[in-house]
Amino acid sequence: MKKIVLGISGGCSFLIFLILLFITSHLCHSQLSQQAAKRWGNPQDTAQISCFFSVYARITKDSILEFEHSIDSALVDASVVQESENAGARLWADAYSADGQVTLSTERGTVSADAIGIGGDFFLFHPELLLYGSYFSGNDLMQDYCIIDEDAAWQLFGSSDVAGMMVNIGGQPHMVAGVIHREDGRLAEAAGLDSTLVYVSYETLIQWGRSNGINHYEIVMPNPVSEFAYKYVKEHLGSDEKNAEVVENTSRYSLLSRLKLIRQFGTRSMNGKAIIYPFWENIARGYEDILAVLTLFEMLFLAYPVILALVLFIIWWRHKGWTLRDVRLKLQDKAERQVEKLRARKNKNGYGDEITEGKEQKEKKQKEKKPKKRRKKADDLGYLDEPSRGFRRKGWKRR
Amino acid sequence: MNENGTKRRDWVKNAAIVFLTVMLLLTFFSQTIMNYSLPEVATQYVQSGSITAKIRGSGTVESGDPYEVKVTETRKVASVAVRVGDEVQKGDILYYLEDKDSEELQAALENLEKAEKAYENALLNTNLTSSDIQEAESGVTIEEYRNRITVKQNAVKAAENAVKAAENEVTEAQKKVDEINERYEAFNTQIKIEDSNNYDGDSDERHARDRANEELNTSRNNLSNVQKSYDEIVGAITEIDAKIAAANAAGNSEEAATLQAAKDSKIVERDACTIELENATADVRAKEVAAKAAQEALDAKKAKDKEDIINSLRRQQAELDDEKNEAEKALTDKKNAVTDRTKDLEDRQKELTDLNAQIERIFGQSGLQTLQENIDKAQEEVDKLREKTTGATITAPISGTVTKLNVTAGNSTSADTPVAVMQPEGKGYTLSFSVTNEQARRLSVGDKADLVNAWRYDDIEVTLSSIKPDNTDPGQKKLLTFDVTGSTVTAGQSLSLSVGQKSANYDLIVPNSAIREDNNGKFILIVESKSSPLGTRYTASRVDVEVLASDDTQSAISAALYGYEFVITTSTKPVEAGKLVRLASN
Repeated sequence: MKKIVLGISGGCSFLIFLILLFITSHLCHSQLSQQAAKRWGNPQDTAQISCFFSVYARITKDSILEFEHSIDSALVDASVVQESENAGARLWADAYSADGQVTLSTERGTVSADAIGIGGDFFLFHPELLLYGSYFSGNDLMQDYCIIDEDAAWQLFGSSDVAGMMVNIGGQPHMVAGVIHREDGRLAEAAGLDSTLVYVSYETLIQWGRSNGINHYEIVMPNPVSEFAYKYVKEHLGSDEKNAEVVENTSRYSLLSRLKLIRQFGTRSMNGKAIIYPFWENIARGYEDILAVLTLFEMLFLAYPVILALVLFIIWWRHKGWTLRDVRLKLQDKAERQVEKLRARKNKNGYGDEITEGKEQKEKKQKEKKPKKRRKKADDLGYLDEPSRGFRRKGWKRR
Repeated sequence: MNENGTKRRDWVKNAAIVFLTVMLLLTFFSQTIMNYSLPEVATQYVQSGSITAKIRGSGTVESGDPYEVKVTETRKVASVAVRVGDEVQKGDILYYLEDKDSEELQAALENLEKAEKAYENALLNTNLTSSDIQEAESGVTIEEYRNRITVKQNAVKAAENAVKAAENEVTEAQKKVDEINERYEAFNTQIKIEDSNNYDGDSDERHARDRANEELNTSRNNLSNVQKSYDEIVGAITEIDAKIAAANAAGNSEEAATLQAAKDSKIVERDACTIELENATADVRAKEVAAKAAQEALDAKKAKDKEDIINSLRRQQAELDDEKNEAEKALTDKKNAVTDRTKDLEDRQKELTDLNAQIERIFGQSGLQTLQENIDKAQEEVDKLREKTTGATITAPISGTVTKLNVTAGNSTSADTPVAVMQPEGKGYTLSFSVTNEQARRLSVGDKADLVNAWRYDDIEVTLSSIKPDNTDPGQKKLLTFDVTGSTVTAGQSLSLSVGQKSANYDLIVPNSAIREDNNGKFILIVESKSSPLGTRYTASRVDVEVLASDDTQSAISAALYGYEFVITTSTKPVEAGKLVRLASN
């Protein structure tokens, strides 16, 4: 009875471990902002790196441009070249963004909203759920686009299907390129998505809104060796450690990273940098914490059946009823029989007779051996010590 | 026992029924269940059509040729006679000014007072001479002074030329003196050379001496040869003596006799040789005497020649002395002339300087004449401003529309700031805004622009008139200037424009949201359908594309497409090529 209870509890524990493993995997893959490397290329040799800057870092468009120009030569030095035949294929893509506020107005109403001024391929990294329209890029010809969420669309136009409509930002007309669904939920709202959010171009934000300066930079680029991309970005953009933080998004949810996070328990919350994380990083950090807890539970639920199996194995080993010497002797015996068999074959004349005789002998031996084997197995497992179980087993089989 | 067996069989049976039921349900609803787990995608047909990339911007309408109305004095405005937008004719009153001394008049009075004070102070200046005051009061003009200066300057120039000419003469005289000195020194050098010369030249005496020396040497050689023969013979005799002594000792009388005969022969030879030797010695002595005499004759000749030459040189040198003295005297005279002329030049320069100083005292910054003129000007200004003090107005200098009034009643006008800006009659309006170089490349002068919200305006026409570098960022930006015409246009109006290149037609056009990108380049996902017994399955399939052109909503692409494919525009989850998808219901 005790063994059954232990077995069931071990099985349940293992089952919970598997469920937790599935949940962990699902949570890791649900973070689209952290999966740009997977979408961009082979995640084994592509890395997504994010930089977060404080307002004192004084990152400008020119410094980003300078960094972008240095990447190609760095990749050539690392023997990474473009192999795609598709015209215009790029090895890397990047984006920068700045927090701020803008005021949008239409004839119907005015909305003051949190804004993210974007440059580069921002929506490659943050594929928000588009309800209408399309994304825009910092590389587009015009930079007077904006992407608004459903709330803003409703307040400004009274509808969500407003892609292509014009809205005034700071008195200047801008085109609504798309309408997105703003992520909701406890984590998203705590991360900063608790009010209307608008995406505009960086130029629009600095000209017609209130900008806090460029404070986020993201890049997805080849990673020929481990941490190549991370080190390169850190050295060239995030060298001022007090004012910048560099994160490798590609591996942030790996088992190793999660274990490191568990080890940082208590110290992770301490922050000496004047960096305000954007909502996507806040959400990612929230999920990191959740995953760390889940990983801890996974380890516990895996440890229980493993320890149980080990204990059972040790008990079985101690009561096994045979020794290694027995195994050795049996193997020797088998080898001798084989040798005898070979000798007997050599002494025989006539191939057909030999086969027939051989078959007959084999059948006889098998008939002789089968019960012995069963018997032996039963002895080894100790069933013979419990007659009722051995009887039940035989009886059930006969029926 | 049997009860237990029955219970167990029931349990197995129930489990099997439940299992089979679940399997059956799963089989029937597998498609539906799977569909809900698939990403839902919105699709659109690939289309053909035109793409027009538009450049948008906003600006404020300004007068094309604004006229700024300015006043020169600071006066308080009593009232404003017009409003912004009013059309006025030339001479119409724009502002009424208060009857009060302007700040400029007060300043002019102060200036007059200062000028008078400055003149009085200048009269007390100790540097002024009575002639200065006399001349200033007599009204000698600056022209007269200029003539005087010209005369003085010419005199200075002539004196400078005279000094230069005298200096040139000194240089020439000095050159001549130097040349004579050089020649004089050359004589000294030549005399020294002659004095140290051996005069070992070709002469009869030298030939005679050489011959005597030659003969002497021949005689000495002969003596030497004879002496040698003599020594040999004496040596042979000594040897024979030794041999005779040896033969005698050996008792060989025959040999001794033979040797004696040989010795005698040698003795005869020796005697003959002795005579030869004496003759040769005498010959040598005679030759030595002859050689000595020849040498003495030669030495006498040399001494005579040297003396003759040196005496000749000294005579010539003595002749040069007179010439040298004359040249040195001439040099001294020239130098004295230079000194005189230099003094003359200094006198002329001083006169010129004095004249300049006098002009400065009379016509300079603080000169009497200038100060007098300052007083006249200040007085004139005061008179002019006093005339304007009563009943002043500001009138329109041209016919046109008032676009801006910068001063309101109660405030003062300023000389620097225009009091009003007018749009001249018949002139157009302009509007400008800045764009990037990339945007400017797609435009050309003459492009017609559309107005955003064009329904608001009746007949406004906007044409791109110039593309110039933007002064705020000349490297990166261009300033577009548009001509704006129309009856409803007014200066200060804010307009939003949309201007773009001519549209081009393309066979394959997809929404911008359909364009995706990864490290293999840009691509679209199309939906491919496959029928199965449980329904139609849809699969996303990747097609690499090249974006040819884009506008606000669509992109023209080049890709291996037939033109009737469904393109995925949005999805509820990330979609990967080759994965099943679910089509959105609409």
